[in-house]
This record gives sequence, C-alpha cells and structure tokens, in this order.
Amino acid sequence: MIELSHLVKRFGELVAVQDLSLRIPPGEFFALLGPNAAGKTTTIKVLVGLIKPTAGTAHVAGFDVQAQPLEARRRLAYVPDFPFLYDKLTPWEFLRFTGQLFRMAETRIERETSALVARFNLEPYLGQPIEGLSHGTRQRVAIVSALLHAPEVIVLDEPMVGLDPHHARVLKDILKERSRAGMTVFISTHQLSIAEEMADRIGIMHQGRLIAIGTGEELRRLSGTAGALEEAFLALTAAERPPAPGLVATAP
Amino acid sequence: MSARADASTRCPSALRLLLGVNARQSWRGLLGLRQQSRLLTALIGLFLAGYAALSFMLFHKGLRFAGSFPGLGEVLTERLLFLLFACLFGLLLLSNLVISYTNLFRNGETTFLLPLPIPPQTIFQWKFIESTLLASWAFLFLIAPLLVAYGLTQRVAWHFYPLTVALIGLFIVLPAAAGAYLAVNLARYLDRRAFQIAALLAAVGLLAGTALWLQPETVTDEQLETRVLAVLDRLLQRTQFAQFPLLPSYWLSAGVQHWAEGALRGAGFFALLLLSHALFFGSLMCTRMGRAFYLAAATVQSRGSVLARWRWFRRWQARRRAWRRGMGGLEAVLAWLPGLPRDVRALVLKDLRLFWRDTTQWGQSLVLFGLLGVYIVNLRHFSQQLTNPFWVYLVSYLNLGACALNLATLTTRFVYPQFSLEGKRLWIVGLAPLGLHRVLAAKFALASGCSLVITLGLMILSSRMLQLTWPRTLYLGAAIAVMTFTLNALAVGLGALYPNLKEDNPTKIVSGFGGTFCLVLSFLYIVVAVVLLALGSPWTRHGDQPAHVVALAWVLFLLLSGSLGGLPLRAGLRRVAHFEH
Repeated sequence: MIELSHLVKRFGELVAVQDLSLRIPPGEFFALLGPNAAGKTTTIKVLVGLIKPTAGTAHVAGFDVQAQPLEARRRLAYVPDFPFLYDKLTPWEFLRFTGQLFRMAETRIERETSALVARFNLEPYLGQPIEGLSHGTRQRVAIVSALLHAPEVIVLDEPMVGLDPHHARVLKDILKERSRAGMTVFISTHQLSIAEEMADRIGIMHQGRLIAIGTGEELRRLSGTAGALEEAFLALTAAERPPAPGLVATAP
Repeated sequence: MSARADASTRCPSALRLLLGVNARQSWRGLLGLRQQSRLLTALIGLFLAGYAALSFMLFHKGLRFAGSFPGLGEVLTERLLFLLFACLFGLLLLSNLVISYTNLFRNGETTFLLPLPIPPQTIFQWKFIESTLLASWAFLFLIAPLLVAYGLTQRVAWHFYPLTVALIGLFIVLPAAAGAYLAVNLARYLDRRAFQIAALLAAVGLLAGTALWLQPETVTDEQLETRVLAVLDRLLQRTQFAQFPLLPSYWLSAGVQHWAEGALRGAGFFALLLLSHALFFGSLMCTRMGRAFYLAAATVQSRGSVLARWRWFRRWQARRRAWRRGMGGLEAVLAWLPGLPRDVRALVLKDLRLFWRDTTQWGQSLVLFGLLGVYIVNLRHFSQQLTNPFWVYLVSYLNLGACALNLATLTTRFVYPQFSLEGKRLWIVGLAPLGLHRVLAAKFALASGCSLVITLGLMILSSRMLQLTWPRTLYLGAAIAVMTFTLNALAVGLGALYPNLKEDNPTKIVSGFGGTFCLVLSFLYIVVAVVLLALGSPWTRHGDQPAHVVALAWVLFLLLSGSLGGLPLRAGLRRVAHFEH
C-alpha cells in the first residue's frame, strides 16, 4: 500500500509537488501520467526516500518513509529510469548481491533468480560482465533485481524504455500477476497505451498537482472526450495554465 | 509477499557485502586492464617505476645535500621533513574534501543504495572508506621514495619502515575524516556550482597567500658569509607553521624522526597520539554521520541553486536567460573574426561554452598555470643573484620544460578526451555537413590557439624576469610555440585514434590506453626536446655556438616535433574522415 498525505516539495521558490494526497491500496496497479516537469519524478523520489518532502508524509506498506525508512525500504523496490548496475559484476553476481542486501536465504535467491531469469531470457548473459550488455539487457537485469525479494510495493520510472516488445510483454505479465497477488505497482510513464492497458487507476499530474485520478473511462468522462486516453490526457492538461518560463519543475 | 529477512538467513552485513562487491569490481577492473593491453600495463609499470626511481634519487641527493652542512644539516633535514608532511596534509585534506563530495553526492552507487534497506550510516561508512583510499593512495606513492631515502640517509634499522607505514595508516584517517565531514556539511549548505566556486576560490586564495608568505628576501653576500645562522633562522621562520604541535602532520613527522633517531619512547608517544585521534575521529565517522549524510544527500537531490534565495541572483539569471535568446558576447567576438566559417564558429563556440561551464576544466588549468605564474613572477627576486650565466641558462630551460610539462598535463587531461566526449553527440556533430575531419581540425586549432596564448605569455614573462635579451626571448618563444602545437596535435590525434565513445567521464577516457600513451609520449618528448634545445643553444658558457650545431639541433627538434605531433594528427584526421559510428 502507498499513502501520500498532503505532500509538498519545494525547490527554492518553485513548488514541484503541491499538496498531493493519494492512497493506492495493496494489489492496485497505478499509473502516473503527466507532461514533462509535472512533478512525477519528484513524487517518486520522495516516495522511495531519496529526497525529503517539504511538508506532508509518504507511507509505504504502512511505514513512514522518513520516520521508519528501513522498514519501508524492506518492502519496497524501485527501478529508476537509468538504473545503476555494477559494471564489472556479472548479472548473477549482481542479483545475488541484491538478494543478500535484502537478507534473502541463498536457496531462495537461487529459486527466485532462476524463475525470473528464465522469464526474461537472461540465462545466456548470467556469466558475462554487465558492462558488455546492451541497454535492454541491462534494463532486464535491473527489473529482475527489483522483483527478486518479492516486494510489497514496486515503483517503476519509465521501465519499458529499451525493452523489446517481447520483454515488455513479459514485464507487463509479471507486474499484472504480482499485483493480483497483492503487490502494489506504481508506474510513471509517458506511454499512455501502457497505462490504459494495465492500470487499475490512472493519475494525471500537471504543474505539481494531481489534476485527475480514476479509471480510463472516468478520465474520459472528466475530460469530456470519448476516444483514446490520449484525447483525455491532452484535454485535461491543456485546460491548465501553461507553466511560466523559468519556473518549470525540472527533475533534480 | 515477503518483507522481512528469511528466518534462516545468515547473510553477511551490508558493509561486508558492499566491500566485497566493490573489491571484486576493482580487481576485475585491474584484470581487465591487463587483458586489454599488455603494452599499456608495461607502460604504466615503467612509468611508475621510473617515477619511483627518479624521485628516490632526487630525495636521496637532496637529503644528503641538506645534511652535509656542518652544524645545520640536521636542522635543515628535520625542517624539510616537517614541511613536506605539513604540505601533504593540506593536499590530502583538499583531496579528501573533493573526492568525498563527488563520491558521496555525485555518484550513481549512492543513489542506487539509498532506497535499499541499508542504513545511511552503512552507506556512509563504505563511501568514507572508498574516498579515503581514492584520495590517499597517491600520497602513499608520493612519499614512499622519500621515506626510503630518509631511512637510508639516517641509517635506520629495518623496523623503521613497517612502523612508518603503520603511522601513515593512522595519519591518513585524520584528513579523511575532516574532508568527509566538511564535504557533508558543504553539500548541505552549498549547491554544486557554489561548492566548486568556493573550492576554487579557496585554492586560489591559498596559492596567493603562499606566494605572499614565501616571498623571497634579499640577502647580501656579506650576510651570507658572516651571518649564516641569522639568515638561516630568518628563512626557516617562514616554515615555522610546519612545527605547530597541534597539526597531525607534526605528530607523524615527529614520530618518524624520533624512531629514526632511536628515541623509541618519544616515537611511541606520537604513535599513541595518532592512534587515539584516528580511533576517535574514525569512530565518529563510523557511528555518527549517517543522519547528516542522508540529510545532505536529500538536499543535494532536491536543490536548484542555493544562490537563488537572493534577489540579485534571480535577476541576473533572468537577464542571462534573456541573453541566451540573442547572440551572446562570446559569439559576437567570434563573429567578428574574419575568415571563420559559420559552422566552424558554431563548433568552436560550443567547445568554449562547455569549457567555461565546466568549473573543473578551467579550475585545474588555472591552478596549474597559476602556480607556474607565481613561480615565474617570483624569479625577479632571484635575477639579482643569477649573475652566473650558467644559472640563467639553466633556469631558462627548466622554465621551458616546466611550462611544457604543465601543458602536457592539461592536453592529456582535457584535449585528448575531446573527440571521445563527442561520442554520444556524434549523431549531430558527426552527421553535420561540416565533416568529422574538420571537427577534429577545429578542435586542434582551438586547443593550440588557446594554450599558445598562455604558454607563450609565460615564456616571455619568464625571459623578462630573467632579464634575457630579446633574441634569447624569441628563441625560447619559438621553442614553446612549436612544443605547444606538437603536444596539442599529439593529444588530438591520439584522441581520435583511440576513441572511447561510450564513456561520458573524461577521467575514465584518459585512464585508458590512448590517454596513458599520450601522457608518456608527451613527457618523453619534452625531455628530449628540452635537452636538444639546450645542447644546440646559440648561447653557451664559452661564447657563441657554431651555426651548424644550432641548425642541427633545430632540425632534429623540428623533425621530432613534426613526427610526434604531425603523424598522429594526420592519422587521426584520416581515421575520422571514414569514421563509422
């Protein structure tokens, strides 16, 4: 479960996230959409504890990210848009390292790794140094490392970038399966089709505020459009005042 | 869903895991270096061994020379030791500050580790260890030849060496702890730009302060002959700061000195002093910095410019934004230059802007040439004493060598990676109708032009300070001009021949085969060129040199420069003309 309560994040004079309140129950697949500099990445960084909110709180699986960081992080997985991997390690070594950081038993690391590696077709690369892997393969390694400890909440920032259609499908299937089993999925993306296809609810952020939230159908109704989600997204974000030059919230 | 650790798990601690993973990374990096190129390994090995041998020889000769003055030898040797460790302490502190800041707050691993269930204290512990090692290894390498030379001149017992190593191990904890503490607090209150500017201003201030403090004094021949002790006392007073008893470098120097002299109780006292401080500050770092580190890391991730709180800064930023829409001062100057095509101008403008906005680049250049400038300006104090033509002759060639060595450091560090740094931008620069060979030629012209202004300026200044005649000034000016073009051509050419288009970090590009090769070739070239020019100088101690000797030396110098600069540049230009990317 994710719970953001009156979250505010300011960078000097700029308000990157403005009074954001949101509750995502266990097992929900939530997609966060928004134009560039809407405050999505800032929200994610607060949620995973990389930055402190100016005001408000963020809870992961019932634990306050700032007050009980370790408890929250044990239940959380995060895949950033440009994941860091140790270049000189092999994927197997990296996955084992991640499992050990989460204090998983060796047998469990092996079992979970084998299952995920098989699904993402990573066997041929398990013994090769990560530095020699393609962008897509590195992304698959990062995703497997995030899923390994069976988190209660997973936060993904543009996870499909670099994945080929086959592995994008695999990821979607796994996320759907896990969310049915109780894992909360929080995904930030610009690919509206993914949100439309996968998400139980979609949130749209603009200029630091959550301007709309609901199912695809509800968003269409709210925007007064009938076609694809794109129409609703454009209508909802166009209705807002364009950001003033020089006061655009850039991802720090 | 499983959230807690598996019941039966006996996992190593997070710190041990991090140490293990990073040790494996480094070891594989070393192995990879060996597998990639034996020539590179041999070159690096040769270079390191050469440095160690040369510095040992110089330290040994220097200490023996200093020790040979009857009655004063011991005082001089002692002061040299204290002074050297005090200077190295300052350098270590600065190095730890910069490396800790980068390693803690501008590092992908930190951002990766922070959302994981690892206490910030553990992440800080690992980063503290890593920064200490990164900042201090060069220190150990630098002082090893000195300590061996010191041990040999003092005829110490074998146990002096392991004890000294142990003392140094304790000593490096102190600047490391101070550097990390400063880095965390500076990161919390200064943004990156403000931090860089502050660090640079501090370095320049220190430089200026040192230049002012160590200004030479005029000593008459009479004073030198009759009042040696008084003169020496005056000179040594300037270095008194090295013997301030609260400086950790004082404890190290005193410990080493006492042990060498067989005063074991005194040495033990200083060893315990170092040990207690290392333990105290080390344990503070290991137990008390986690929260401060997390707050600083969160602030660094959150912040725009810290200066934005002031209205003048916001106004200035707004005005800069407005300027950007127009031509800009630099572009207006370049547009004024005749015969510069618009596409080449755009490229030159881009390179100049990137250089100016990267504080590290101009900061290092400023410090290196600033140091040389301070030294050269101070030469005027010596010119009265340099009545012997031999010393004037020697100093002028040493200046030529020093200027070229400074330039070689900068061409390898900044000019060599220029082509590789275009790697991820080749989709625009490489596909432009300009052509990659013209891109490379423009980079060569820009780098040579800019560095020529500095090197030629310094050489003329040096000649004027030494009161050389204009023909001699022109002679040295011509020599440094040729060397400037050669060193730039070598760096640009090798940079294109050994590109690393995947890497964005210039220091990693430079540490590859091509960068090391460039540095070694540059240094060898400088040594051979300066020796050739000195041997073939038209002015000798015994009068004018025969014309054919001067001509031969210059022919050889030009041939060497032409081949070492021209050939790699030509090969590089040819390579990029058909470059596949």
